[in-house]
Amino acid sequence: MNYEVRTICKINSIKMTYYHEAGLIDSTDDIQFKVYSSTHPKGFIIAKPKYVPADLLSLTGLKKRFLFSKCMFRFNLFNKKEVVEKNLDAIRSKFPYYIYECKKHQNWFLGVPEKKVKKFYDTKKGLQELLKVPEEDLDDYLKAVRKLVDILVEAGIPTENLGISHSTLLGNYTPGESDIDMLIFGMDNGWKAIKHLEKYKNPSLKWKSKEDWATYYQKRVVSKVYTEEEYVANMVRKKDDGFIDGNVFSLFCIENKDESWYDWEAQHEPLGTVKINAKVKDAYHSIVRPGYYELEETKILEGHEDVPIKRIVTWARPFSLQAKENERIEACGLLEKVKSKEGEFYQVVIGYFDTYTTDRGEKEYLKALIS
Amino acid sequence: MHYYESSMITTKDGLICQVYGNEHPKGRILVKPKYIPTDKISSDALPYRFISGRKMNRLDLWIDKDKLKEYLTAFTKEYPDYVFKSEVHDKSPLFFAVPEEDIEKAYSPNKGLAELMSIPIKDLDDHLRALVEFVSFLLKSGIKLKDLGITYSTLMGHYSPNMSDINIVVYGKEKFWELMKFLEKNKDKDLKWKTYEEWENFYKKRNRHMIHKKEIYIENMYRKKSEGFFKDTLFVIFAVENEDETWFKWGEEGYKQVGVAKFEGLVTDNKNSVVRPGCYEISDTKFVDGDESCRNLQISKIVFYSRDYCMLAYPDEKIEASGVIEEVTPKSGERYYRLVIGYFDSYLTERRDEEYIKVIED
Repeated sequence: MNYEVRTICKINSIKMTYYHEAGLIDSTDDIQFKVYSSTHPKGFIIAKPKYVPADLLSLTGLKKRFLFSKCMFRFNLFNKKEVVEKNLDAIRSKFPYYIYECKKHQNWFLGVPEKKVKKFYDTKKGLQELLKVPEEDLDDYLKAVRKLVDILVEAGIPTENLGISHSTLLGNYTPGESDIDMLIFGMDNGWKAIKHLEKYKNPSLKWKSKEDWATYYQKRVVSKVYTEEEYVANMVRKKDDGFIDGNVFSLFCIENKDESWYDWEAQHEPLGTVKINAKVKDAYHSIVRPGYYELEETKILEGHEDVPIKRIVTWARPFSLQAKENERIEACGLLEKVKSKEGEFYQVVIGYFDTYTTDRGEKEYLKALIS
Repeated sequence: MHYYESSMITTKDGLICQVYGNEHPKGRILVKPKYIPTDKISSDALPYRFISGRKMNRLDLWIDKDKLKEYLTAFTKEYPDYVFKSEVHDKSPLFFAVPEEDIEKAYSPNKGLAELMSIPIKDLDDHLRALVEFVSFLLKSGIKLKDLGITYSTLMGHYSPNMSDINIVVYGKEKFWELMKFLEKNKDKDLKWKTYEEWENFYKKRNRHMIHKKEIYIENMYRKKSEGFFKDTLFVIFAVENEDETWFKWGEEGYKQVGVAKFEGLVTDNKNSVVRPGCYEISDTKFVDGDESCRNLQISKIVFYSRDYCMLAYPDEKIEASGVIEEVTPKSGERYYRLVIGYFDSYLTERRDEEYIKVIED
């Protein structure tokens, strides 16, 4: 059997690569990107630089790592906005093609032009290969990966719908330090996993307690808009990040190709930053990136005259699974008027790339009013 | 391009190979396949590893001979392009070689180390930090960073902290010997050498105990300064030859197999015993045992492919060696005979346990 690094979907006999969220791309410039969405504008894959060779670009405020026999910058958007802006300028001046100016969004996105893709790693195939390795030949980290797979299989998810990514896939993980990044394909499967983990008891599986989250809040205040109680209440019930035999794991739910919802052809008109209060009508799509919460009983509290908001779109993973159906939420983000084939509507967006370089980033949040 | 021994290459079809020599036939690189994907061939007799998203077999030449033979037969069938028939041997031994056009990536040990040394120490894990500190210690000898490299799992990035060795490459034989002298004379709080007991355990593995007299073997290994511990991590230092100092040139000599025999002789020069393939110059050789066709021959060189025999013997020491006897016809110069240990095919026969070099008492 010939090993092929791309996930190939045969659609109408045309071979197309499915560049799904949380996949990894090596660009022809040897920059490694992490895919940030499962739908993309034509010819361009939305992705964030993950590792940048230090001899390629002079970047600031970033940690370095020795990977792939090279000194690499670990690219990080969670930095002071001036630092992020400086690093993006460096990318923009040498590699302008990694920044996509989208007229339909009147905004820009990071990513890779499809013709600059050197390699896309097959996350599903990687897991299947791992599952073939006898248990006794695995180290403790990979044994923990297998245990997590077993738990997800118990939830009713076939291993064919699972994948591994990042250092777990590439093999450059550090046991005890590296996260286990597990991909679950299909939104139903993603929800099966979450529901299963909410009830599952196993000595290998641990979650951050209320006290852990409170300590985390005290040490690294994520947002000034949360009280400690609100933050703890929002975080402690999430089951997409936890510990398996002492290793941090993260679950990434990936839409199957036929579940794509994002419309790159729609016109997005930015109207300004708003603060809203609303009730979640449907949270089904809050498990993916980009994801959304369908809303009802909405009210714009600040920033714009009141208009009905159809949904909150989230591009930042911390806001996935943040609120459940029928819960009231409060959020701050970019108000957009959207014109699509579905018609015209308003939405609030949190976590566009530009929030890492503007004041809006510090203002954006989403919280369930549950504490 | 000069492909250095013990550097790493990956092939387009996913093999991870260790370069096996500093001289190569034109257009190909002699290698030992180190990790082989299991999609075409696999063996439960070999250890499995999960590397770069693939289930791989780790080639171990010391597994059961029949199973190794079975595996390498399958390898030859599935990867015929990587099996090399030497035209400079009348009967080609088994060589593995990767055609240059099949290389996906060649990892450079010294470029890799230079990259690693440019990273702030605070950004490194314990394994890499120990490595950087060890290299800093070695640099006190006066050796330049450009003459050092790192290889294997550390270079490729799939090492396991607390488990993987530190493998250091020294470019140039003279520099390597100088470094060994430095290590003999200099101490560091984090530097430790293998104890007598640790060498004894090493001695008990593979076929060493069947060949060597224990006390002599351990004494000889004890004086090696190419292997030890730094911050409790095992390190091994390899010498590789620069392009202008290889002790033979591929294609400049022809080799004709004469037989299999055991000889003893006096080491006259061991400067090439630090590399792979390595070589001891010997004189006053005496046939001990083996094919009659070899009885009246004088052997000039003992050549070996196993790093076990690096720096085992020194000039004026007497050694005994068992292996394949070859008549060597250089393009220029006089014909001579050599004894070779460790061709890959020797691992497939009883020769695996019968080939050796050992220092003997006068």
